[in-house]
Amino acid sequence: MNDPQRVCLTLNGRVVEDTARSNETLVEFLRYRLGLTGTKEGCDTGDCGACTVSFDGKAVNSCLVLAVEADGADIRTVEGLGDAGQLHPLQQTFVDQGAVQCGFCTPGMMMAAKSLLDEQSNPSEDEIRLALAGNLCRCTGYVSIMSAVNAAGKMLRGGK
Amino acid sequence: MSVDYRVIGKPIPRTDARAKVLGQAKYGDDFSLPRMVFGKALRSAHPNARIRSVEVSRARSHRGVIAVMTAQDIPGENSIGPIIKDQPVLCHDFVRYTGDAIALVAAETEQAAEEALTLIEVEYEVLTPVFDPLKAMEPGAPVVHSGGNIGTHMKVRRGDVESAFQSAAAVVERRFITPRVEHGYIEPEVAVVAPDLEGGFTVWSSTQYAHLDREEVSRVLGLSQSRVRVHQMVTGGGFGGKLNPHAQCYAALLAWKTGRPAKVRYFRDESLMASYKCHPYVIDMKVGASREGKLLVLEAQLVGNTGAYACQGRAVITKSVTHVSGVYYIPNIKADAYAVFTNAVPCGAMRGYGVPQATFALESMLDELAGRLGIDPVELRLRNALDTTLPNATGQILNASVPIKAMLGRAKVEVVALRQLVTQAPMGKVRGVGVGCSSRGIGSIRKASRSTAVVSLHPDGSATVACGHVDLGQGSDTMMSQVAAEELGVEVDRIRVVTNDTAISPDCESTSASRVTYLSGNAVKKAAAKVKQRVFDIVSRDVGCAPEQLRLLNGVVAYREQGIRLAEVFARHTLHVITDVAEYLPETTPPDPETGQGAPAGTFNFNVHAALVEVDEGTGRIQVLKYLALSDVGQALNPMAVNGQVFGGVMMGLGSALMEDVIVDNGVVNNTFSTYLIPTTCDLPLDFRIGVIEEPEPTGPFGAKGFAEGSLDPVGATIANAVSHAIGVRVHRLPLTSERVHELLRQRPLH
Repeated sequence: MNDPQRVCLTLNGRVVEDTARSNETLVEFLRYRLGLTGTKEGCDTGDCGACTVSFDGKAVNSCLVLAVEADGADIRTVEGLGDAGQLHPLQQTFVDQGAVQCGFCTPGMMMAAKSLLDEQSNPSEDEIRLALAGNLCRCTGYVSIMSAVNAAGKMLRGGK
Repeated sequence: MSVDYRVIGKPIPRTDARAKVLGQAKYGDDFSLPRMVFGKALRSAHPNARIRSVEVSRARSHRGVIAVMTAQDIPGENSIGPIIKDQPVLCHDFVRYTGDAIALVAAETEQAAEEALTLIEVEYEVLTPVFDPLKAMEPGAPVVHSGGNIGTHMKVRRGDVESAFQSAAAVVERRFITPRVEHGYIEPEVAVVAPDLEGGFTVWSSTQYAHLDREEVSRVLGLSQSRVRVHQMVTGGGFGGKLNPHAQCYAALLAWKTGRPAKVRYFRDESLMASYKCHPYVIDMKVGASREGKLLVLEAQLVGNTGAYACQGRAVITKSVTHVSGVYYIPNIKADAYAVFTNAVPCGAMRGYGVPQATFALESMLDELAGRLGIDPVELRLRNALDTTLPNATGQILNASVPIKAMLGRAKVEVVALRQLVTQAPMGKVRGVGVGCSSRGIGSIRKASRSTAVVSLHPDGSATVACGHVDLGQGSDTMMSQVAAEELGVEVDRIRVVTNDTAISPDCESTSASRVTYLSGNAVKKAAAKVKQRVFDIVSRDVGCAPEQLRLLNGVVAYREQGIRLAEVFARHTLHVITDVAEYLPETTPPDPETGQGAPAGTFNFNVHAALVEVDEGTGRIQVLKYLALSDVGQALNPMAVNGQVFGGVMMGLGSALMEDVIVDNGVVNNTFSTYLIPTTCDLPLDFRIGVIEEPEPTGPFGAKGFAEGSLDPVGATIANAVSHAIGVRVHRLPLTSERVHELLRQRPLH
C-alpha cells in the first residue's frame, strides 16, 4: 500500500519529479525527500500552520496534503519567496519589524501572508487577523507579525 | 540622566533573522546524517503500574528494525532530572504516569519504528493512581515515590502572623486554582546523536541548556562529560520546556547501541502527552489589612502538583513562596509551599516559574480587600508598594531600581480612563477594568548561579564571544553582540557570539529565569572590558600616554587626536588574538530552608498591567478590549527585543487566563492543538500597548536587568480582576473559559 508513486510538480518555478509513498504528506516530501527544510512541521494535524505552503496560489497546510495530490500542482515554499540578494517584501518587513523570534512559525506565517497579499494588497487589520488565524506563534504575541504584514502590503503597493 | 550609547538601546534586528526568513536556519529536524536511524519510545499506557514483563522479540524481528532497548541495556545511569535524578530514562519496575518511557526502537524509517512499538508487549499490574495533589498529601494515598508524596516543602516565616490577624480590620480568606499549562513551543522536541571517531558522541539538539544535555547524555552513556559535545540547533521556542533532555538521551542510547547516527523527534501528541508542563496550583490564602489599607499579614499554603517526577518542582515552589507577597511590604508572613507527587504528567519549569500562580491569588485578594475597605484598588496597591527601604517576603531590601510606585502612578491615570469606558458596553455585554502587579527575582532563587564569558579580540577589531547561554528565539545572542560591540567600539556585525557549542561556550547554567541579560550580559561586558584594558595597557606603554586617555573605535586605538590600528599593535607585539575571560556571580543569599529569609536575587523586575474586558452575558465569552503592560527593564538593550518579549509574554499569559488547561484523565486528554488551544491572532486585545520603564539597575550591564518572564506574571491576575469587576462575582479559578464564566454569571445576585 506504500508503493512509491511518481510525483511531478512545479516547485518554486521549476519542474521537479520524484517518487513518494502513497501515505507520504507533502511536508514530508518537501523536507525529507527534496531536502527543502525551510517549511516546518509543528503538529501534523493542520492546527499550527508551520507547514503552510502555497498550492496553486492558495495557502495550505502541507501536512494535510498527500504528496501524490500535489502531482501537477504549482507549489511555492519559503525557499521560493525571495533570495538573499533580493528579499521578498514580507521577508524584509519580518526582519525589520522584529516579527521573527524563534522563527519556527515564520516560513508558514509568511506563506499565509503572501496568499493574503496576493489577493488583497491593502488588507484591513481584521483581514490580516483572519488570514493568519491558522498560524500559531508562541513567541511574538503576533503584534510585530501583524505590522510586518501591513508594512509588506504597503511595499507591494509601491509605497514605502 | 540618559547615557549616549552607540549600539545599546538601539532596535537592531536579530542577527539570525535573515537566515530565518530565508528558510535557511537549521533546526534539529532539518539536520540529518548518512545512515541515520530513527528512534521512537514506547510509552506507558497506564498512570500507575508495576511492570511485570517487557517482551520485545517480535519488535526486534520487524522489518527495518535495527535495535530495541529496554532499561537493562543502558550502559550508564538509568536516571534523568534537572535537580533530583528521580526519573528513569526507561522504566523497569514501575511506571508513574501515562507517557513514561519503557523501551526504545531504532529503525531504518520512522514508520518502521512506529510499527515496531505496537509489537512490544508489556505486562502491567495496574495500580490505583492519584491525580489530586491534596488527596496525594493525605495518609493512605497511593504512593508515587517511596519517600512520600510530598517532594519538597518550602517555607517563609516573618513576624507574628497570629497577633497580626487579631489586629487586622479586614481579613479575606480564599482558595485559588490555576491550570496545568503547556509551553506550546511550535517546534517539538528533537535530537540527533552520532558516535564520533574517538569513542565519544556528538549531539545536535533543540535545547535550552546544551551543557545539561551533555551532563545527562554522558551520565546515561557512562562517559565523561568531555566525551560528549552538544551543538544546540536553532531552537523553535522553549519557554522553560526544553530543559530536560529526554529525546537527547533516547537518541544517544540508540546511537550507542547501533553505532549509527540516530534521530529522535516527537510528534505533537507525544510532546503534549509526555513532556513536562507548568505546575497547576491549589492556593489557600488569607490576608489581613488595617482600616487605612495597610497590609499587615499574609498566610498561605501553595500546593503545586509536580506530577510523577520532581523535575524542577523544588525550585518552582521556592520561587512561588519567596514571591508570595508580590510587590508589597507585608510585615507578617507565614507561607508553606509544597511540590506534591501525583500520577499526572510531570510539571517543571515554564515561563513564570511559580510566580503567576502566586500573583493570581495575591492580586485577587488585594481587589477583594480594596472592596471591603472602600479603597480604590490602585490606591491600595500604592499604599503598600515596595521601595528602596522596605523588605520583600525574603527580607531582602533592594537598594535601587524599584520603580513600582511610579508605575502604579502611571497605571492609576490609565485606569481612570479605562473605567470611563465601562458603562459603554453594548446590550448583553458587561465590561470591567482590572489591575495586576508582580515582581520577580532575576535568576535562580533556590541557589546562586554564575555566567562565564570568553571574549577574543582579533587584529581587525572584530571579536568572538563564547558564552554558554543559548538563544531560544528571544534574541539573547543579538543582545550579547550589542554588549560586546558597545564595549569594544565596533558595529554589531563585527561580533560573533557562540553560545551553542559545549566545546567552545562555557557553561552558564540554563537559559531560564530571565537571567541571560543580567548574568551573561555582565560576564560578556566584563570580559570585553578586560580585553580592551589589555589593549590599552600595551598601547599606553608604546605611545607614552595614560590608558584612561585611550579609546577603541572600529579597530583603531585613538590617543591625542592620533590613531593606531589594532592590526599594527598586534603585529608589533606578536599577538594573534587577545583573549580574556570573566565571570559574573551576583551577591545573593539563598532563602533559609526554615524561614525563607535571605537575599536570593541580584535584582528584581516589576510589572504593572491593566485591562479593560468585555464579557458576553449570553455566551460567557471574554474579549480583551484594551491591555496595557508596564514593564520595568532597567535599561532596554534592544527595544525591538523588549517589545517582542513583552507582547509575547502577555499573549502567553492570556492563554492561561482564558483557555489553556492540560486535562489529565489517566493521561493527557487534550493532546493536539485542536483540543489544547493557545491564543491566535483572533485573541489579540483590540488595543494592546506596552510601557517600557527604564530606571537603570546599577549592577546590571549598562543598567539592564531581566524582564522577559515578568511580562507573563500578572496577566492572569489582571484578567481575573477585570472579569470580576465586569460580572460582580469574584473569580477564583483560571482559565476563564466560557463555561466557567457561565457558572460565575449564574452566581450573580438577582436584582
